[in-house]
Amino acid sequence: MSLQEFFQELELFGAAATQRFAAAEDTAALEAARIEFLGARSGRLKQLQKALGQLPAADRPQAGQRFHQVRQQVEQAFKAAQARLCQQQRASRSAELFDPTVPGLRPPLGHLHPITQTIEQLKEIMGRLGFSLADGPEVEDEWHNFEALNIPPEHPARDPLDNFYLATASQLAGGGPMLLRSQTSTVQIRVMERQKPPVRIIAVGRVYRPDTPDPTHSPMFHQIEGLMVDRHVTMADLKTVLRMLGESYFHGEVHIRFRPSFFPFTEPSVEIDMSWQGRWIEMGGAGMVDPNVLRAVGYDPEQVSGFAFGLGIERLCMRQHGVDDIREFFRNDVRFLQQF
Amino acid sequence: MIISWNWLKQYVLLDMPVEELCYRLMMAGFNHEGTTEVGGDLAIDLEITSNRPDCLSHLGIAREVGALYGRPVRIPAAQPTEGNIPVERLVQVRIECPDLCFRYVARVIRGVRIGPSPAWLARRLRTVGITPINNVVDVSNYVLMECGQPLHTFDFAKIQGRTIVVRRPKPGETIEAINHQRYWLGPDMCLICDAQRPVAIAGVMGGAETEISDSTTDVLVEAAEFDPVSIRRTARALGLHSESSFRFERGVDPEGVDWASRRCCELILQLAGGELAAGAVDVGRKPPQRQPIALRFAQIRRILGIDVPREKVREILLALGLQECPPTDSDLAGCSSVSQQPIKLNSLPMDPSSAICTSTSAGEPPSSIPSSGSPPSSASVRSSITDQLSTFDHLSTYTQPSAFTQSPSSTPSSAFVHQISGQFTAQTRSATENASGSSPTAQIQPDRVLLLPPSWRSDLQREIDLIEEVARIYGYEKIPEDVRVPMTPSVRTKQERVLEKVRHVLTGCGLDEAITFSVVEPGWIRAFLPWTSAEPLRTQTPLVRGANVLRQSLVPSLLAARRTNESVGNSRIELFEIARVFWPQPGALPIEEQMLAITSGRPYLELKGILEALLEALKISEPLRAEPAQCPQLAPDNSCRLYLANELWGFVGQISAELQAQTDLRHPCTVAEVRIALLVTAAELVPQYRPVAPYPAITRDVNLVVDEPVRWADVAATVWQAGGPWLESVQYRHTYRDPQRLGEGKKSLLMTLAFRCPDRTLTNPEADQLRDLIVAACQKHHGAQLRAG
Repeated sequence: MSLQEFFQELELFGAAATQRFAAAEDTAALEAARIEFLGARSGRLKQLQKALGQLPAADRPQAGQRFHQVRQQVEQAFKAAQARLCQQQRASRSAELFDPTVPGLRPPLGHLHPITQTIEQLKEIMGRLGFSLADGPEVEDEWHNFEALNIPPEHPARDPLDNFYLATASQLAGGGPMLLRSQTSTVQIRVMERQKPPVRIIAVGRVYRPDTPDPTHSPMFHQIEGLMVDRHVTMADLKTVLRMLGESYFHGEVHIRFRPSFFPFTEPSVEIDMSWQGRWIEMGGAGMVDPNVLRAVGYDPEQVSGFAFGLGIERLCMRQHGVDDIREFFRNDVRFLQQF
Repeated sequence: MIISWNWLKQYVLLDMPVEELCYRLMMAGFNHEGTTEVGGDLAIDLEITSNRPDCLSHLGIAREVGALYGRPVRIPAAQPTEGNIPVERLVQVRIECPDLCFRYVARVIRGVRIGPSPAWLARRLRTVGITPINNVVDVSNYVLMECGQPLHTFDFAKIQGRTIVVRRPKPGETIEAINHQRYWLGPDMCLICDAQRPVAIAGVMGGAETEISDSTTDVLVEAAEFDPVSIRRTARALGLHSESSFRFERGVDPEGVDWASRRCCELILQLAGGELAAGAVDVGRKPPQRQPIALRFAQIRRILGIDVPREKVREILLALGLQECPPTDSDLAGCSSVSQQPIKLNSLPMDPSSAICTSTSAGEPPSSIPSSGSPPSSASVRSSITDQLSTFDHLSTYTQPSAFTQSPSSTPSSAFVHQISGQFTAQTRSATENASGSSPTAQIQPDRVLLLPPSWRSDLQREIDLIEEVARIYGYEKIPEDVRVPMTPSVRTKQERVLEKVRHVLTGCGLDEAITFSVVEPGWIRAFLPWTSAEPLRTQTPLVRGANVLRQSLVPSLLAARRTNESVGNSRIELFEIARVFWPQPGALPIEEQMLAITSGRPYLELKGILEALLEALKISEPLRAEPAQCPQLAPDNSCRLYLANELWGFVGQISAELQAQTDLRHPCTVAEVRIALLVTAAELVPQYRPVAPYPAITRDVNLVVDEPVRWADVAATVWQAGGPWLESVQYRHTYRDPQRLGEGKKSLLMTLAFRCPDRTLTNPEADQLRDLIVAACQKHHGAQLRAG
């Protein structure tokens, strides 16, 4: 093909395409014309492009420039036809009105369990206070759940009816029974057994106690426990850490009140109250680590002292979100879970 | 423990509002559960922690009030008038099980008249929630509530052989208790028997046959000390919990047994008449000797973080009934010089009666008490009469007994002496001694003090116990809440960080987090058990009804939660849980594997895609391999087991029709369960940067026809191998089957390949060439044919 012929073809193509696009009466006709003239595989423009490639090299720049102009014109014509048809279509359907309030297509969102959210919040606060997370098993031996925590064999807390002992068919090599841990304090022992002071940890997890389920009791619930052991750790440190925890958790000024209490693994032992919005809120138990506990893990109570505290996660979470039945947490109705 | 306000008033001056008293008691460790008005009296409900059985009584609470307010406590003398006949002639007592019964004190009163109790006594019992029965039974209940020592009264005429034997049951022995139930007795229970038969379950409940009736004339009064563990087990085993067992379980005052017996007899004589036989049959061991405790003053600051003035420390501990002992030589070595002298004791009163009560006769002070004047220099007895109620002035009140010997008609006994506790005797003695001219020790004060705890405080054994007492009474509010706590960095474990990402991905995928119980019903454990065939661990008592098996997979629990949701018509049920399962190991604690499990309404491949997305989020480069699940609970054509880094990672698939039926689910669903630990190991939480090329990629769709057994993963591996460094991605599109067009046993795999060169734009011919290489390799290795169009 000569340059002349190429130009001719080009003009023919331009005129035909423009005419056909302008004449198209509906989108189907326009689409057919588009494929014929502009189709990516075998449209006429594509063929012209091939022809352009076969022209003598000297002619190519001139031919290319023209080719480009024509292509732009044709594409313009196509867009114009498209816009025209679109408008026609809209006009013909004038009874239909655009409704801007139709909702968007929402991706489904998942939800973290409220207990997880409370745990994450507390972990994050305690992390800022220098407490790292520690972990221990949920099935325990009597040493970690009782003995090392200053709960001797005849102690009422070890009564089989107050604990979930495992069936006697399964026993430890030493002959001791196993049980589901009744408190996260077991983790204190496991950490101190393998780590020298200073210790600053929290332990979070499931604990198990035989309580008949009712709105405030569940045989399984979650605890968070803090432990700090070092030289010169005092009850004033305990009170201060708890106040800081409270202020971070409640986002405001908090005071701490201790009421004497009794736990085998702490001495002195106290109940923690936090003042919040003019009321005292019961938060959990705390105390100074009992010297017997320190001795049990090989620490010297004359050298180091420490505090420990434990909070019930469910109770905090219930108060935070106004949940009035602890059993909701474990029923896992999605209508409940999706509220948080 | 319910405390009657009017009753408590009998022992200690109560001139404060009841709310204030309850607040102070709460701040001293006795939670106030509520106050109700009962017939003109106030019933104050206090929670008593298990370490303080001494406070399961009005006298115990009175002692606390005395210590908190610095007031004397008036303790009845308990000096019943005795007749002439020695009790030994009337009754014999033998303890055959000294391990279960430590001590048994018996007294006998003959000639009582059974009748209703006087109004004041009945009122008090009603206030504390006890129904009055008759004068003798009511007195034993009254003394129990007064001092915390349980007592039992027998109709002595029905005690055969005039003998009490404390022993274990004979095989098959039973007893009818006063509640008219018959109980079969276990081998390690403690029984009170006469010569023939059991007459009471020791410390738990009396027998019906020997109970006090209207015709009773002679009464045997039992005051004993039983092994707390045995009582607890017996009460539990028989389901018989009484005021008695509650106190014996926690331990009674070993030196208070005889006082309670005398007190009971005194009141019976007063209210029912009769004649008390002389003396008591008192068998069993002597109360164990109490050991003094050394308190180093410096330890108070070390533990509490505050200084408590030494005088205050002494004052608090003495007010609680501790007695100061003379310092030992080692105490005096290195002690500092001060103006006070330590209190010196001649001897410690180990006699049970003297520790409880110093009175010799009703209404009169003991002869050893100075009749007037202020005592000498002992710090704790310094106060004068004029500041009687200020802090610590037992001596001054002692010198004026009349001020407190108020015996209104409602008071059961006129015999009162005033004493705050056992230590009083000691101080008095020391005071007497000093006054009579014994030489004071040097003007020095050691850095520690040696203290003997009172007999009723078996919880006080160590220095730390005394520090707690100081803190409790001094007031925890004095401990500051704004000290400087040293800063220290905390570390988030890799596990924590991985779990956080996992949770983000899953909620991002539209899954809600569930938390289910760790224990399931035996039927459910078999529902999904791909991990272990070991016999599951069981709890002795079920967690909730029927659920006593420690789960070995989270899937059954999630399916149960799914059913719960179906039952209330929730249509979109997309749940995941992260928790531990328990795989038994012989002779050791079980393996606790942390699992992620999902149940979903989406098709299998979508759920599998979520697991793959987890790997992507954690930048895990380890290979993921899928094999047939071979798990009967999963539909074989819509499930697989997954291996991560060649370790079994987990399962994903649609549940089988059987499992669906078994779990009672209306709709089919998919489940997945994978091990978190593998994710933690393989996660790359700090991904390293790779430069991105500034050139476009070229894609090619490839449609390969292969035989049915050829797996996608194998083809993909070949593609990668043949694709060279410019192959950027291989995207599976879908599998197409059409026997007519492709042939029997054939399928076509459609994929999109993307090529990119890091330093220039690839040309179409280059991309075509690469594609052809790939197709050729697939042809060679898998017999694949390129399918046109």
